[in-house]
Formats: sequence, structure tokens, C-alpha cells
Amino acid sequence: MSEFVNRMTVQRRVLQIVNRKKWEKEALFGLSGKAIERWLTINLIDPKNRLAILVKEISSKLFFLASKSQEQVSEDYRLLSEDVSNITERLEHEVNQIA
Amino acid sequence: MHIYAFGSISRGDVSQDSDIDLLAIVKGYDARFNPEDFSIYSYKRIEEIWDEGNPFAWHLSLQSKPIFLSDEIDFLKNLGKPKPYMHCLRDCEKFLNLFCDARSSMLDNSVSLVFDLSTIFLSIRNIATCFSLGTSNRPDFSRSSALRLEAKSLQLPKDVYRIFEKARILSTRGRGEDLTSGEVETALKSLSSIHEWMTKLVTEARNERIC
Repeated sequence: MSEFVNRMTVQRRVLQIVNRKKWEKEALFGLSGKAIERWLTINLIDPKNRLAILVKEISSKLFFLASKSQEQVSEDYRLLSEDVSNITERLEHEVNQIA
Repeated sequence: MHIYAFGSISRGDVSQDSDIDLLAIVKGYDARFNPEDFSIYSYKRIEEIWDEGNPFAWHLSLQSKPIFLSDEIDFLKNLGKPKPYMHCLRDCEKFLNLFCDARSSMLDNSVSLVFDLSTIFLSIRNIATCFSLGTSNRPDFSRSSALRLEAKSLQLPKDVYRIFEKARILSTRGRGEDLTSGEVETALKSLSSIHEWMTKLVTEARNERIC
């Protein structure tokens, strides 16, 4: 459960970073693949854009963590959590440049 | 490999907003399954959650239907009933905390209101499910669990409840129209009564030591 709460906290932090920029049509509503696709499409963001790639990368890591946590592989979880943290920092840098 | 359907489709509780919840039970990591489409569990983990009396184990035990059984044996049915659910109070407190985090985020001029409202919907739904599982013999795993606790139901007009549900669908499935400022305002006004209701459930679970 605490891993679940951690993932929710990471999602909130990522969304706060991405939505710091005022998007033309809609904010990013969540980190599911479908929410990201909607955000890219409605705001006419190129999916190859560096920011888009980073957001998708975090999303896939979080979903992977969700299934990994069910396996209770704590070392894998720790390493992946560090990955997410690093990507989030890169994301923050990216948003700072365009916001 | 064993695949099951669970959730609204297995209850026959289908609406235009329903999605299809699928469980894949696999040996180790299996890249064929997209975690956005499947809840992916190992056999070992399923046995563990059965042994923990985890709410998800109860959900699967009571409301899942086999779709594909590689050995033609119904793995979940063969596990029998999960152990009794013993962590109602702990889980209710965690969902109350999740609600409080989302509410704080909203009140701190959040730029992610839809996500915060979606998280609030998740906390409302899950606290009601855990409470119903821990305190009654009629657990409710539906999206409307909070409105189905009889005298202990969340007293919120359905159209207001629907705003939170709409946020959840936007945040997870990327479907639906964006929330209007009026809807956000209405949702914000209901936060104190939701907090009061959740606190009552936690207090009841704690005082009566019923879970």
C-alpha cells in the first residue's frame, strides 16, 4: 500500500511539473497512456518532442513499478524508483526551458 | 497462464463508462501483457494476497470469471476463500490520508485539478469498499460503493459524485469532456462533507474494533 501511495505522490509531482506550463487547450490529466495521448493530441504536441518522450518514459516506469510491486522485488523496486526520480529531474529541467 | 475478467463486466453492472478489468496470472515477468490493460500478478503473489485476506483477493474471489485457463483448471476457484480481511482500519486510514493529500494539493492552487479530483474519487470509492468488506457480509466493489453503505452512505447528490467519477475517467482513460469551472467549484464545496464522512468511517472502524 505504501508503494501505491508513493506512486500517487510521484504522479502528482510529475503533473505539477508538466502543468506548470499553461498548455494551449488542456492540462495533462494523468499519467496513463490514454491520458498522455489525449494531452498530446489536443495540444498538438509532437510525440517525438523531448518532453513527450520523458512523460511517456515516466508513465511506463510507473506502470511497470505497479506490476513489479506485486512481485515484491524490493531491489528492482528501489532501482526503478531511482530511475523515475532521475527522469523527473530531467523533466523539470525540460519544462523550465519551455515554460 | 490464467486470464480472468473482474469488476463491472463480471457483475453485469455495465454502462457506457465501464471498462473491462482483466487479470493475468503469469509465471514471472511476461512482456506480452500491457500493464495498462491487465492487472498482472504472479501465482505466488496471488497466493500471498489470498493468505493476507487482501481486499483485491476478496474482489477476485467473489466477482471474477475465467476467460482463459492454460491448464483448464480454475486456479482462483481452487484457492478457496481468502483469509478474513483484518486490515480495514489501517486501509481506511490510508485512503483518508490519500484524500487529505489531494485536498491539500487542490487548496494549494493545484495546476492538476482533474488529477486531484480523480484521486479523491479513488479514495472515496476504496474507503467505502474496504469499510463494507470489513464490517458487513455484503462487500461492495462497485464504483458507487460509497453511495451503497445504507445509513453510512456518503450523502452527496449523484450529480456531484459524478463530477469526481468524471475526473477519474479523464485521468485514467483519457475520455470525456474537461471539467467546467462550475464543476470544479461544486466539487470543492463538497470536500468538507466528504472529509467528515471519511473521518466517521475511520472512527467507527477504530472505536468498534470491528475490522
